[in-house]
Amino acid sequence: MTDRTDTPNQEPIPTPNFIGMLIECQEDALAVIADSNKAADVLRIELLGAKSSLSKLTRQIRLVPDADRAQVGTVVNDVKKSIIDAINKKGASKINDLRSSFDPTMPGIRPPEGHLHIVTQAIEEITRIFERISFIRVRHPEVDWDWYAFGALNMPANHPARDEWETFFLETRDKKQATRKMVLTPHTSNGQVREMEKKKLPIRMINIAKCYRRQIDVSHTPMFHQFEGLYIDRNVSIGHLKGVLDYFVKQFFGPERKARIRPFHFQFTEPSFEVDISCGVCNGAGCKLCKQGWLELGGAGMVHPAVLTNGGIDTTKYNGFAFGWGVERCFMMKAGTHLDDIRLLYSNDVRFLRQF
Amino acid sequence: MNILIPDSWLQEFLKTKATPQQLKEYLSLCGPSVERIYKKNGEILYDIEITSNRPDAMSVAGIAREAAAILPRFGIAATFLNDPYDIKSKVESRKLKVEKKLFIKTDPKLNPRWASIVLSGVHVGPSPTRLIKLLEATGIRPVNNVVDITNYLMRSYGQPTHAFDYNEIGGGKMILRTSRKGEKIVTLDGKTHVLPGGDIVIEDGNERLIDLCGIMGGYNSSIKNSTTSVVLFTQTYNPENIRKTSMALAHRTDAAGLFEKGLDSELVLPTLVRGITLMEEMTGARLASKVYDIYPSPYKPYTVSVSKKKVTAYIGEDIKNIEKILTPLGFRTKIDASSVTVTVPSFRKDVTLDVDIIEEAARMFGYHNIAAHLPASEPPVVLPDVELSYEQEIKTRLRDWGYTELYTYSMIPEKLMDMFGLNKHKAYKIANPLSDEWVYMRPTLLPGILAAIKENLKHEHSLQLFELGMTYGYRQHDLPKETPVLMVAWTGNRLREAKGLAEAIAALFGLPFEEGVYGSVSEADAEILAKMEITEPVTILTVHIEEMVRRANPVKKYIPIPKYPPVIEDFSFVVPPDFRVGPFIDVLSKIHKLIQSVTLLDGYENKRTFRVTYLDTARTLTNLDVAPVHQKFLEYAAEKFGISPVI
Repeated sequence: MTDRTDTPNQEPIPTPNFIGMLIECQEDALAVIADSNKAADVLRIELLGAKSSLSKLTRQIRLVPDADRAQVGTVVNDVKKSIIDAINKKGASKINDLRSSFDPTMPGIRPPEGHLHIVTQAIEEITRIFERISFIRVRHPEVDWDWYAFGALNMPANHPARDEWETFFLETRDKKQATRKMVLTPHTSNGQVREMEKKKLPIRMINIAKCYRRQIDVSHTPMFHQFEGLYIDRNVSIGHLKGVLDYFVKQFFGPERKARIRPFHFQFTEPSFEVDISCGVCNGAGCKLCKQGWLELGGAGMVHPAVLTNGGIDTTKYNGFAFGWGVERCFMMKAGTHLDDIRLLYSNDVRFLRQF
Repeated sequence: MNILIPDSWLQEFLKTKATPQQLKEYLSLCGPSVERIYKKNGEILYDIEITSNRPDAMSVAGIAREAAAILPRFGIAATFLNDPYDIKSKVESRKLKVEKKLFIKTDPKLNPRWASIVLSGVHVGPSPTRLIKLLEATGIRPVNNVVDITNYLMRSYGQPTHAFDYNEIGGGKMILRTSRKGEKIVTLDGKTHVLPGGDIVIEDGNERLIDLCGIMGGYNSSIKNSTTSVVLFTQTYNPENIRKTSMALAHRTDAAGLFEKGLDSELVLPTLVRGITLMEEMTGARLASKVYDIYPSPYKPYTVSVSKKKVTAYIGEDIKNIEKILTPLGFRTKIDASSVTVTVPSFRKDVTLDVDIIEEAARMFGYHNIAAHLPASEPPVVLPDVELSYEQEIKTRLRDWGYTELYTYSMIPEKLMDMFGLNKHKAYKIANPLSDEWVYMRPTLLPGILAAIKENLKHEHSLQLFELGMTYGYRQHDLPKETPVLMVAWTGNRLREAKGLAEAIAALFGLPFEEGVYGSVSEADAEILAKMEITEPVTILTVHIEEMVRRANPVKKYIPIPKYPPVIEDFSFVVPPDFRVGPFIDVLSKIHKLIQSVTLLDGYENKRTFRVTYLDTARTLTNLDVAPVHQKFLEYAAEKFGISPVI
């Protein structure tokens, strides 16, 4: 392509010559488009941009006799349009080329895929569910004084109720500590009095932590996780506890599942309840997995006045409820997991972990 | 505790038209949980769980009393029959020919009530078929008519009873005392026990121990086929002593399970009286002594009150007819304008507080009848725990970056403590481990993670795993310091990725990663890997979450987007082996104000390619502007670092 536009030309240009130059410009541009491998954007700048031959030529339109300018303008537009069309067509054919070379039966290229442990997933879900009703997650010690794990919960030393928790004790080398034992918390209820000691009322707490018991079989591992709810306020009723249970059960297990409470006994709640949820397999009709349509979820109750007193709370003004359930157990009770051995959770076999 | 109750036995104490299914459902909703019903040898059996606070219900009569109170709440008539508390002693009014005397010494602190009688003319033999079937159904092995009667009484009333062979009690002397450490007794199951001391025992006139009280009788004085004279013996004990002995000797019997929960002394005499009747009927026994009833402090009924307002607040409903609810349970109830006062029966000493009455009222009203509401009060304003939020964020990111999360046990074996050279004196040790696998609270996550890598390498060739959990740091005289630590592990040499991951995590906190401050990147010790039989190198990143949280800089500051385009140049150098990228970038990025950044684009073998970005925020740069900076860059590279660009 010869550059005709660089030399300043102030002389009038006869109309046919100008049109001839435009046509030549168009032919050159179409040839470039046909031969080039450049991207459409680059071609657009090169052939239509401010520094392009066409733009430079167009700027000289003023040298065409006034009477012919409108006619020349139409030609300029035609040339431009033909160049644009050619560029677009070229781009489109390139996309088509890519499409046709793609084998849609090839497996896709995926982003990296990692896996969160089931316990983390369940904890996150539980945390979010309770957060929506202002129960905020906190963390209390996993290794604690037996005062918080038992004594403060209305279970003095040698109380038979302590047997219900197969507790691990830590060795104390220190003679002075003989009366003050350290335990691996067998439940998250140690968080109750610890939370009350923060001296902030009302309380809406979810304490999620590791717990430990001397047990191992298909439904027990010596380490597991619990979540403990604690609600302390004025005029707390059993109806409120039921409301929170229903809310949780429907959110976590599904809207068709139901909760119920039955009488039970714990030293640290009065009244105490056993919480059941309707079976997700038979929907309450009764099947092999459940006790006539119900599955035991865990314990709950109205906080015992002795526990409130141990936490420095005025029992004439405040009362509350608490519940503590297993994270793994809840997860396994979700319909459809088909997980029948809790020990798999702590086998750390990636062939298992990758499934979730 | 679970007990098995045959339906026909229950009918001795309960008259109702309720079906077994109804009984199961309604009892479970308002009282003891009937876990299942099943049929065995033509008998319907209820398997019932009774909570430890309710020893009064650990019997057929106790369950019948509960059922008679609960069933009418569901519109089903029910009557409690043969209430043991109605049994009156007719023994005293009979003319007695006292043939055989007992010389008793006891201690009311250990033994609040003692009741016994000597019976003679006893014919030991098998029990009637019906009694044998009942005992078998409830899980008690039939022995002979005398022993079977004592077991029948225990299951019927929840009050254990013992029978001694009178002729084996030296001098008819029974001295109840605490044991001395090291004393021995052979119990009637043939086991020899060396006593820890402080156990309640009975010694006879020949200084032999004849009873390990509350747990099991002595072998020497047990009932044999040749026995003709029997001491029938019913009593209560200090529950703490019984529990201590039973736990220390690991000798758990039905009797111990009842006595350690604290039984009702008021039931002692009625049980003995019923026992005498059965002995007379079934063994041909006749009375050979008076009834020895030693009961210095009889039960004084007490009252407990609760305000009506509190009842309503707890239950969320106004309960009508509270008297009608509580009376069938044995509570005499008085109601005034503002409160409910009950007189507690001797068998319900678990009721001491106002909330205990609320429990009784609420369960009988029916928890299923209480309407559910979410709390309507104003929620407390609590700021969420930042550490927990960051932990969750890190875990989620790691998942999305392709890492898989582990949960290893917090307890590690001694073997690993030694292998990793961890100080066992500065670690917490479990006093009663379940197995050798779980003994020390981990001071670091590394042993658990390497153990997981070892296992997984059996079937995988490349791993990238992480765990975010507590380590337990030693503090003298105190609880461990629980510190959340993130550990990421790769098989192979992945040091650059580990460093990059550390930087990316630090960036979540708005921080640069500082080795040694926020954590560290390293290769696992080759010696340890060899000891663990891991044949691949392992790269480890450790991150201290607390330190990052403490210094977190979560506010992101806005930097205006440049109005003018940058000029970008790439330079490739061949570098000597000791060349270090870090100082090169640090120095070169500061040599001229137009250099906005110097970054490493690529590094392969001895080649390093750097990208230099020139920028002027006030105008568009031209080649003329950049040329002298470009020159200066190359001069610095040559002079300070001895490297020149590859052309």
